[in-house]
Parts: sequence; C-alpha cells; structure tokens
Amino acid sequence: MGEFKVHRVRFFNYVPSAIRCVAYNNQSNRLAVSRTDGTVEIYNLSANYFQEKFFPGHESRATEALCWAEGQRLFSAGLNGEIIEYDLQALNIKYAMDAFGGPIWSMAASPSGSQLLVGCEDGSVKLFQITPDKIQFERNFDRQKSRILSLSWRPSGTHIAAGSIDYISVFDVKSGSTVHKMIVDRQYMGVSKRKCIVWGVAFLSDGTVISVDSAGKVQFWDSATGTLVKSHLIANADVQSIAVANQEDSFVVGTAEGTVFHFQLVPVTSNSGEKQWVRTKPFQHHTHDVRTVAHSPTSLISGGTDTHLVIRPLMEKVEVKNYDAALRKITFPHRRLISCSRKRQLLLFQFAHHLELWRLGSTVATGKNGDTLPLSKNADHLLYLKTKGPENIICSCISPCGSWIAYSTASRFFLYRLNYEHDNLSLKRVSKMPAFLRSALQILFSEDSTKLFVASNQGALHIFQLSGGSFKHLHAFQPQSGTVEAMCLLAVSADGNWLAASGTSAGVHVYNVKQLKLHCTVPAYNFPVTAMAVAPNTNNLVIAYSDQQVFEYSIPDKHYTDWSRTVQKHGFHHLWLQRDTPITHISFHPKRPMHILLHDAYMFCIIDKSLPLPNDKTLFYNPFPPTNESDVVQRRTAHAFKISKIYKPLLFMDLLDERTLVAVERPLDDIIAQLPPPIKKKKFGT
Amino acid sequence: MVQLRPRASRAPVSAEAMVDEGQPASEEEAEHGLLLGQPSSGAAAEPLEEDEEGDEESDEAPEELTFASAQAEAREEERRVRETVRRDKTLLKEKRKRREELFIEQKKRKLLPDTILEKLTTKNEDCGKGNDSKKVKVQKVQSVSQNKSYLAVRLKDQDLRDARQQAAQAFIHNSLYGPGTNRTTVNKFLSLANKRLPVKRAAVQFLNNAWGIQKKQNAKRFKRRWMVRKMKTKK
Repeated sequence: MGEFKVHRVRFFNYVPSAIRCVAYNNQSNRLAVSRTDGTVEIYNLSANYFQEKFFPGHESRATEALCWAEGQRLFSAGLNGEIIEYDLQALNIKYAMDAFGGPIWSMAASPSGSQLLVGCEDGSVKLFQITPDKIQFERNFDRQKSRILSLSWRPSGTHIAAGSIDYISVFDVKSGSTVHKMIVDRQYMGVSKRKCIVWGVAFLSDGTVISVDSAGKVQFWDSATGTLVKSHLIANADVQSIAVANQEDSFVVGTAEGTVFHFQLVPVTSNSGEKQWVRTKPFQHHTHDVRTVAHSPTSLISGGTDTHLVIRPLMEKVEVKNYDAALRKITFPHRRLISCSRKRQLLLFQFAHHLELWRLGSTVATGKNGDTLPLSKNADHLLYLKTKGPENIICSCISPCGSWIAYSTASRFFLYRLNYEHDNLSLKRVSKMPAFLRSALQILFSEDSTKLFVASNQGALHIFQLSGGSFKHLHAFQPQSGTVEAMCLLAVSADGNWLAASGTSAGVHVYNVKQLKLHCTVPAYNFPVTAMAVAPNTNNLVIAYSDQQVFEYSIPDKHYTDWSRTVQKHGFHHLWLQRDTPITHISFHPKRPMHILLHDAYMFCIIDKSLPLPNDKTLFYNPFPPTNESDVVQRRTAHAFKISKIYKPLLFMDLLDERTLVAVERPLDDIIAQLPPPIKKKKFGT
Repeated sequence: MVQLRPRASRAPVSAEAMVDEGQPASEEEAEHGLLLGQPSSGAAAEPLEEDEEGDEESDEAPEELTFASAQAEAREEERRVRETVRRDKTLLKEKRKRREELFIEQKKRKLLPDTILEKLTTKNEDCGKGNDSKKVKVQKVQSVSQNKSYLAVRLKDQDLRDARQQAAQAFIHNSLYGPGTNRTTVNKFLSLANKRLPVKRAAVQFLNNAWGIQKKQNAKRFKRRWMVRKMKTKK
C-alpha cells in the first residue's frame, strides 16, 4: 500500500445555513427543504435520501413557507412579499409574483391542489388560483388585526384556520368571512406579559383545530363552537411547528428546545371505540430550535436551526426491520464544495458569497506511522474573492495548474486568471463572457488546463479553449431529449480525449472531445449518480451511485469492465451498502492503476482491484495496519476494500501526488460553535 | 444750618388764583386744572423748584389752552404714534424679506445646477410612465452628468419594501431571541455538555484569534531580533 503523508486541513470554515421549511410530497416521495439563505434543496427519499436538485439562494429571499401543489409544482413565499414558483426540470425560478400584502408569513395549498392561500403581514389572507402556467389572484378574505403566522385548510376545503398573535380565526372559504375567533391564553411559565404567538395550526377533517404556540402549549379547539377542548403543556419554550399525517391518526410537533414530540390517536381502553390524542414519543435529535416538521406515511422529518435534517422512520409503520428503519441525519452537503490544484498544492473553498484560495503548508520532518509532523511553513490564505451581487455561488472550480478560477451564480459566469510571481498573486478577470453562458451547474477544467467544460442549466454542455489570457468557444453539445434533470456531474479523462456528463435520465453520456461528438452512453440506472471519474491510463469511467453501488465502465471498449461485472455478481458487503452518506469524490493513483480512492463523509476507502472481494462474513473494517500479525490472519482479512475512518467528518479527500494525501475535515463542534444561541436547559447536577 | 424759605402762604394763593381765574370753559381745562391742583395740594417739596420760576410769574395768568390747540396736539400725538407703528411694520417686513432671500439663496446652492435638473425631469417622464407595476425593483435613471460620478435612482422603489422586510425580520428576531426568551450562549451550552459527559471535561473556551494581531506580530519580531542579539553577544 505504501505510506502517505496526509495534510489534515481544518481551516475550511464551512457553516451550513439553518433549515427553515420542509415540505413532503407524497406522490414522488420527495422532500423540499428551504434554508435561511434562500436555497431550496430537493431530496429524493427513495434514492437513499440523496440530494437530487437544488436552487441557489439569494440574499433578499428569506423563505418563510414552502408547499407543493398538484402536478409536482413547488411554491415558496418569503419576507420580501413574493410567491415564487420553481421549475424542477430546468432548475431555475419560473416567476416571482408579488402578493401586495407585505412580507408573507405562511402559505398553504388546498387539499385539491388547485388553490393557494397566503397569509401576510398586514393581516390579510389572500386566495390565489393556480393556473397551468401561473398563479392568479382570486380574492381577499376578511382582514385581521395582526399578522397571519400560520394557515391550514380543512381536508374538505370548506374552512381555514389562521393563527395569528394571541388568537386563531376560522374562516369560511366560500364567503371569506370569519366564523370564529378563538383567543389563546398568554400564560407562559406563570407570567402573561409576552404576546402568545401561534406558530402553527392544523385543521382536521372532524373539525378539530390543533394549535401550537410560543407558550409551549398544544391546544385542541372545536371549530364548530369555537371553544377550547384540551390543552397540553409540553415544553418550557416555544413549540414552533406542527405536521399532521394524511390518515390523521398522528401528528408531530417540534419545540425550540430541540425536542420533537409525536402525538397519536389511541383508543381510551383497549376495545372501546372512543379515541383520544396522547403524547407518545419524544425524540431529542436536535440541539437548537426545530423550526419545521413534516410527516410522511412512514417517518417523521424535522429540521431546524442546528442545520441537520433528521428523518426518523416510525417503527410501527416500517414493514421490514432492516437498515431502512434507521435514523438518518443529513448534515454535510452531498456535493463537492472544494476543488484542488495538485501541481501548486492549492485548495479552493466555495462559500455562499465568496471563494477562498489557500496554499497548503509544508513540512520537512519525517516520522513513522501515525505521527503528527510539525509544519515548517503554515498554510497560506492567498485569496478572498467576493462575488458581486446578492446571489449565491452555485459551483466553482480551479484548474489543475492553478492559473484559472471559474465560478457561476444563477445569472452570471465569472472567469479569473491568476498570475504567480515570486510569492505574489495577481488576479485578472476575463470580461466579455458570451451571452449564452448565463449560469452553470458544473464547471470542470481539463488536466492540462487548456480546456474549460461548462454544463449550463439549459442542458447544453459547452467547451471553451483557454490560452494565455483569452478564451474561445469551441463547441456546444446540445441535450438529447430537451429536458435536463438532476445534478449534472462532469468528468474528464487525463489525456483530455473523453468527457463524461451525467444528469439526464438517459444515463451517463460520454463525449469524444477531439472529434466533438457523442461516443457512447452508459446504461441508465434507477438511482442518481453521486460521483464520477475517469482513470488516467486505462480510461475506465468509475461511477458511484446513491445506493452505494460502484460501477466501472471502459470507455474505449464501450462496455462494463470485467472487474465491475465480478463485483456486481458478487455483491457488495452489507456494511458498505449501509453507509449513510454518498460518495462525493473519486480519484486515482498515477502509478498504481489497480487502486481507486473514494471517500464519503465518514470514511475513505482505497479499492484494490487485484485483491479478492469480501463476502458478508468477512471482517470489513480492517484494523490499523497489522504488520506484526501472522500471515494467516492477514490472508483472511485481506480484501479489496481498505477503509480508514481516521479522518472524519471528511468534506474532501484527494491524492496530491504519489505520497501525499489531503483530507479536509469539518468537525461538528466547529459548526455548532457558530450557530445562534439555543434555549437554556436546566440539567440536574449542574 | 439750612435756611428755609417761607412758603406757607404759597399753596393756597395759587389755588385761589386758579379758582378766581375763571370757570373752566371745557372739561379739558377742568381736568388740567384738577391735575394741576392735585399735586400741588399733595406734596410740599415739588413746588420748591417751580417756585423759583413761579416767583417771577406768580402774578401772571397760566397759559390759555383753547380746544382747537388741544385737539391739534392730540391729533399730532396720534399721528406720531401711527407713524411709529408703520415704521416698525415696514422694518419688520424688510427684515423678513431679507431672510427669505437668504434662504432661497442657500437652497439654490444645495440643489444641483438647473441644467441637470431639467434633463432629469424630462428623462424621468419618458421612462417613468411605462412601468407602473411594482415589480420594477430599481428604476435607474441614466447618468446625465459629464463626469459620470453619480447615478440617480428612484428611492421610492426600494424604500418601503425594504423597511417592511426589516420590520418583519426584527419581529422574528425579537420573538425568538429577544428579551423574555430563555436563551443561553453557545459557550455555556457546550460547557454544560462537557460537564455531563461520562468522563467530565473542562469548560469550553472560545479564543479570539483576531485580537491583537499587530501586538502579536510586534512581539514575534522583537523576539527574533532579541535572539539574534543574544546570539551575537554570546559569540
């Protein structure tokens, strides 16, 4: 295997933004998650909870509500007063319509999916009709005195419950007038000075309205008479979110202390018909406020200020007790935010609004296995490049020689040239971008840094020639069918002949760069691609899918390699398939063609194709190099997957040269240290 | 010793003279007379000075005041009063006018020169009419000055929306993190977690690496120089 010197990098100050809203779509089993910086991410829950698509954020967009309407249409509304519809095929925003009510606090789609209700700052509730290509304002309901913070439709579509500050109103949809106004008790820990904010309401089909408020209560109201039926005091802090299951026999609430409570409708005695709502399970998976919850048929989904997305399958709903029933916590991004220039040992970090360029430190000391070597030269922060405008950066890349930096926002593409002279760095922007190049989903430089490959969000793949300080458009590959879906990933071979692009549902396309035409297509798989790379000499394309399968495809021969077929027949070890996080980067050793280096957030692995494959009974995670163990033990435990869990959580891992690795870690404590303050909890003995 | 002059006989003589002189023809003279009469009967010290003049004219009759003369005098008095009032008014008017002009002058100095204002209004009329919808986020007016050092933007396009959004965000911040909420700092939160671990650890301390950068650099340089000096002296 050889010894490697590993650069452990911990100066990537990555802090994800807090989760603000979550919306679950039943038909497609997809989850839309919106964050406080305006990013909306779509997770495919059936594809191993992989983040399929995302819409980049915007500084002025503070989303407060997210909902799915019929026909897989996604709407969001925010504090800038606009209702935004997202185009899931083209991955951009279809349109933004101003609701003229001030900042929008809440939004709900009708049970039939054809109408949209919006609650605004000035107390008005507005009804919009969803037409095939746009939404149209229909009418206003009775205006209330204070801001409408939560909305809920009755499943029959006849009534609406709106939660505001200190009261809840029930509207009749046909007439638009208030039927009942229910006053919420302000009492908070015995003091009634602070206003009681009703953070969430839910309307059940039997006329019960459930409200959660900032005094820590969950209350059940009867909408026919407008009276309080039952009140549960469940927390010492705000209860901030509520979600009801489709069958209306259970609902989930999230509190500001990070606890998620599950309420279920259970019969009073074992054979009586009468049922009542009982608080059954508390879950403490968050440390900060849980601002949003969702209830899918089999699991509870919660997200909040501590930036984790937690999906907790309910044990009673799960049929088979296998790995599918485990808790999933999504913390780290499912795509690469770091690019590396191997020759100059530079790392480019992508943040929401700026890029940072660092040069790795160096050491002259040597040591044995497991030693930490002192640095003779510290890591250098070379460049802090701030983006112009309020939009977030979608993707960025640095060329392998380190002289070009390219990044893209939702509306512009930027290309910079770097000049190094005796430790000095100078940056020059290449102006005059072509008009057709607006926003890119993925950017990649060729190995010799003469070509730039850009996957634009219209589906086309552009190739540019870079020379000196200028660049020229060579060719554009148009998409086959006219639709573009999912994340687009690019991989280029070391000799610059082949370009692989994933993203269309038809599989991975491989293009011949010299002849500028499509070479072949890797057959489509029913899970999305998470990482791709082309091996240097053999030109084998290695693809990792979100269900943790790894395939190897030979580009010149246009078929899967023998090793790949063997692996598929043999099957992967069950521990390999049970990993939580997707593989985000694949790289190769220049001198050892039998090695594939890949990593996910909690491990990195070197697959040695010459060694035998493990079956389910073998010890999968090898102990730390057993050089002094007997030959027999070594033979028994030697298999192709060499896994190391020393460096975690890993954001990026790459081979710089034959004997050096770079591992960018992001400890969870460092992220927590930069989050907003949590609620104070009194613990016994402190 | 002060020599006092005899004067006891003065007062009654003058009063009698007045009475003897004749019945007052009009009330004015009577008033005058009465007025004259009162002080003389009251104070004894006053007539001291008058007495000297009065000594020569004591036998002469007092001045005769006709109605016409008194009337003329009164009218004169009134005219004088009116004159003063009018003069005051005109003075005040002038002062105000001068002040007004001063203000206009100052305002003119603050505003842009006329030519540019003219150009702006014409441009605004042209392109301001079309887009009435509030979707236009910022209405940028073309820079019209020669040196292009500024850009005119319509403030009313952005002001209201931003203010409301700020107010909404302030509301959320206040209700979640404002006074009355039971929040603790991240430091305390992490330290509490350390205290509750099975193997207790120390409290978390946050360092501010950006504090005193210059001081630290100076210290490093000084140390290096000191070491070099020390090495040299040792040698």
